Amino acid sequence: MDDSAALFEQVTRPHFDRLYRLAWRLTGGRVEAEDLFQEVLIKAYAKLDHLVDIDQPGAWLARVMTNLFIDQQRRFKRQRLGTVAEGELHGDGFASIAGDLDPVADKVRYDRLRRLDTALQQLSDDHRLVVLLHDTEGYTLEEIHAMTGTPVGTCKSRLHRARQRLKEILLADGTFS
Amino acid sequence: MTMDDKHDQALDELLKDYPMPQADAAFYDRALLNASREGTRRQRKRWLFAGFSSAVAAGVAALALFGLFSGSPDTATSAIPGVTIALEQPRTINLMFGANEPLANAMLTVSLPDGIELDGFPGQTEVTWETSLSAGRNLLPLTLVAVKPVSGDLFARLSHNNRQQTFQIRIDVDPTGPAPIEESPS
Repeated sequence: MDDSAALFEQVTRPHFDRLYRLAWRLTGGRVEAEDLFQEVLIKAYAKLDHLVDIDQPGAWLARVMTNLFIDQQRRFKRQRLGTVAEGELHGDGFASIAGDLDPVADKVRYDRLRRLDTALQQLSDDHRLVVLLHDTEGYTLEEIHAMTGTPVGTCKSRLHRARQRLKEILLADGTFS
Repeated sequence: MTMDDKHDQALDELLKDYPMPQADAAFYDRALLNASREGTRRQRKRWLFAGFSSAVAAGVAALALFGLFSGSPDTATSAIPGVTIALEQPRTINLMFGANEPLANAMLTVSLPDGIELDGFPGQTEVTWETSLSAGRNLLPLTLVAVKPVSGDLFARLSHNNRQQTFQIRIDVDPTGPAPIEESPS
């Protein structure tokens, strides 16, 4: 490993786990998440000189990832084959995540999470993203603003509306009583 | 505590329990290695590929990523990617097709091993339909259902005019429950 590669690893590796989870939350599947993660690292490496000088490389990497994802989504939606409904894309993500669970030992939990996943897919992309980043990954509204460029007030209202909608769906399907 | 408060609390608990994806340890090492190789190439502005295909060049795991009609030889990827699906549980896999230019009226044929079906096409081992590709990356999600605890290969054949390319994905069926995607060997 040359010096540049070693320096790059030193700067970026501490942020890998959180960055990987962000990729998964953004894309909804392992293959797409790893694809996105890889692309971010490649972009970051090409800007190593800049990366070593910034105060919060983790936040910078997250912002690069979010911007790249949004950009890919714009192109992706235009290029996607029209043979399968949009919503089916999310099945792979949850199936992959579900592989980490033990459905035999915890069938009730699995079913509730499955319903949550279904409810999340009914949200708009913007609403789903903010609720996942804030409520599952622990990003603050200010951090989400820094990552996405969306004003804090808008993030806050999206979070509120997303949670309201989730509660409505989970009430309707019997998850909440 | 009001009912709405209780639902808020229940939602918080559910969201915090939402599965936390984790990469396998080897993935980070591979990603770093690929980044140093590909990042250096970009620094030097020696582009061999454009856009998304750079990630492909970096060897990122994908179920199937095809350089269709891109001037490359008509051969499938050297390593057969694989996926494990659970018996009788629909599972969506994503096929990605790359095209250098828009392709109208392409024919896509998916051939399935006995015991594995496309969701919505029960009992059919081969499904063909006409589709169009845009220039760049095209994604085709296929939802598979295993009706028998068998394994076999799925073939996706895309043809346009006189050109054709066939790709292969290994499908294994886990009779006990859902499993994560297996990465193709690097």
